[in-house]
Amino acid sequence: MTEPIRVMVVDDHPVWRDGVKSDLEASGTAQVVGEAADGGEAIERALDLMPEVVLMDLQLPNLSGVEAIKRIVEQSPHIKILVLSASAEEADVLEAVKAGAAGYLLKSSTAEELVDAVARVRTGEPVFTSSLAGLVLDEFRRIARNDPSEPGLTARENEVLKLVAKGYTYPEIGEKLFISTKTVQNHVQNILIKLQLKKRYDLMRYAIQKGLDRGPE
Amino acid sequence: MAAADSQGISAPERYRRTLSGGVLLFRWVALAWMTTIAATGSEPLRHPLVAWTSIAAAGAWTVWLTLRRRKWVEATLWFDLALCFWLLVASGIVVPEGDIVSQRPFFATGYPLSAALLWAVARGPVAGLFSGAVLGVALALSRVLNGVPFTALSAREVQNLAGAILNYLVAGLAVGLVSRLLVSSGAALEGATEELLKERERAARLAERESLARQIHDSVLQALSLVHKRGRELSTRQAIPGPEVARLAEMAGQQEAELRSLILRSPVESETGTKSLRDQLERITRSLDGLHATVSSVGPISVDAARADEISAAVRQSLENALAHAQASRATVFAEEENGEVVVTVRDDGVGFIYDEEALARDGKVGMLKSMKGRVEDLGGSMKVTTAPGRGTEVEFRVPRGAKENR
Repeated sequence: MTEPIRVMVVDDHPVWRDGVKSDLEASGTAQVVGEAADGGEAIERALDLMPEVVLMDLQLPNLSGVEAIKRIVEQSPHIKILVLSASAEEADVLEAVKAGAAGYLLKSSTAEELVDAVARVRTGEPVFTSSLAGLVLDEFRRIARNDPSEPGLTARENEVLKLVAKGYTYPEIGEKLFISTKTVQNHVQNILIKLQLKKRYDLMRYAIQKGLDRGPE
Repeated sequence: MAAADSQGISAPERYRRTLSGGVLLFRWVALAWMTTIAATGSEPLRHPLVAWTSIAAAGAWTVWLTLRRRKWVEATLWFDLALCFWLLVASGIVVPEGDIVSQRPFFATGYPLSAALLWAVARGPVAGLFSGAVLGVALALSRVLNGVPFTALSAREVQNLAGAILNYLVAGLAVGLVSRLLVSSGAALEGATEELLKERERAARLAERESLARQIHDSVLQALSLVHKRGRELSTRQAIPGPEVARLAEMAGQQEAELRSLILRSPVESETGTKSLRDQLERITRSLDGLHATVSSVGPISVDAARADEISAAVRQSLENALAHAQASRATVFAEEENGEVVVTVRDDGVGFIYDEEALARDGKVGMLKSMKGRVEDLGGSMKVTTAPGRGTEVEFRVPRGAKENR
């Protein structure tokens, strides 16, 4: 038996935290080493406890989940963050993924799916729901429409992402496209990185413009 | 600067500015008239230097007022009145002696009136009347300075003088009244608009509250009370029946999603006559009992309402098939726009089957084909089924987006 995965749970509802904790610990593969009820607490505890995986709700008091993800990833990039949120917060989820979250799971997922997702995220595998794939596709199409010179998705990445959006698992996609599951994972990973880079690229461009606009003082 | 000024000014102030713009225009016309008369008068002026200095002063003052169209400070008003007073008095000095009572147009009659107008616009009817009276005094004085004492005035000339003074008074009073009326109605209008906006906001909030309450009552509350009742019943049993509890959990989960979507998602504003296909599909997946179906959509996808309804009906049918015939527990609905087509894919994890339209027709399952295939074909689209025993089923609907292209 390998060491249980060290997990931290961030949610403002204690009942929900307890539920997730008992689901994870019942599986024997994960151990909840810490909990936090708001964004600020999440950053503090995460940097202090150094869990392998942080399960993060996005609607948090004081500091938002997206902001907390940004800060945690900035300071400790090896901590993997899995967003666990309700279905109607998908726009926020896109922001969370851009900020560096490694995966997204609906709160309505089963205990089994949760345990599985935690294990996958720990190894660096991105965990996507089909609806997030739809959002990401939309985002890349928007980017391509607004500025065709921006780096977009390759034809293969587009194909993979569409199949994720249709609800296919990575092994099923591999089978359909005659590639290995690992390759499918790599494609999804690259898509995420592109999305995150895009965000950084935007920030950089913004900073440069600001600097140039101001001119010599 | 002007742009910054015009933003955020109140309605009364805006009216006042319009009026003062009119007065300014009058001022320029009067200035031109005064200059023309001074330059082309048939009789030579007695004191050309005084005349032209006065005209230059009036010109400079007019230019300054034009450039600096701001609020009138007290000093502006008083200086204007003093200048116009002087212009009237000066006309007594500069035109040939006795000429002032003649019928010919003379040095300054029009321009001084603008002081009365300015006072009236800025400070209302009483101020207009006051400045008109001051100008009247100047007018009377100009007669004396022109060498025409009051005692020497004929009855007609007295009438003329009185008429001219009365003109000043009436102009000041009338414009003052108009100004006050405009300002107060502007203020009233602004107040009314604000009140109307508040009222509308209140009504919209109330309507939203009512609609929320209704929807919560219709769906969430009903389900909650059922969960409550059944949960209580189950807890009294010796052995807990797993499937029943699972059904309750499923029900609670669906209502949770419903409630969240009611509260959290702001409705997509669609053009009139169009609907968001995503919202429509989400509504369908929520209403299905026993099948965990999720929607992923590339954007909200707005299509005309009739088309959205037809596509949704076909999707609903295929989800119902997955549940009823394929023993599926999960399904994913994916929607996107591609080259002017709306593409909706419904994929389930059920047992799959051998898709054979002729066999289906033979088995009397024409209804199912009709409600799916027929629907999309009526819209000029097509349906494609990919399935095999044990491999789930994927149904793809492709429908032209319709006449309206909105990019």
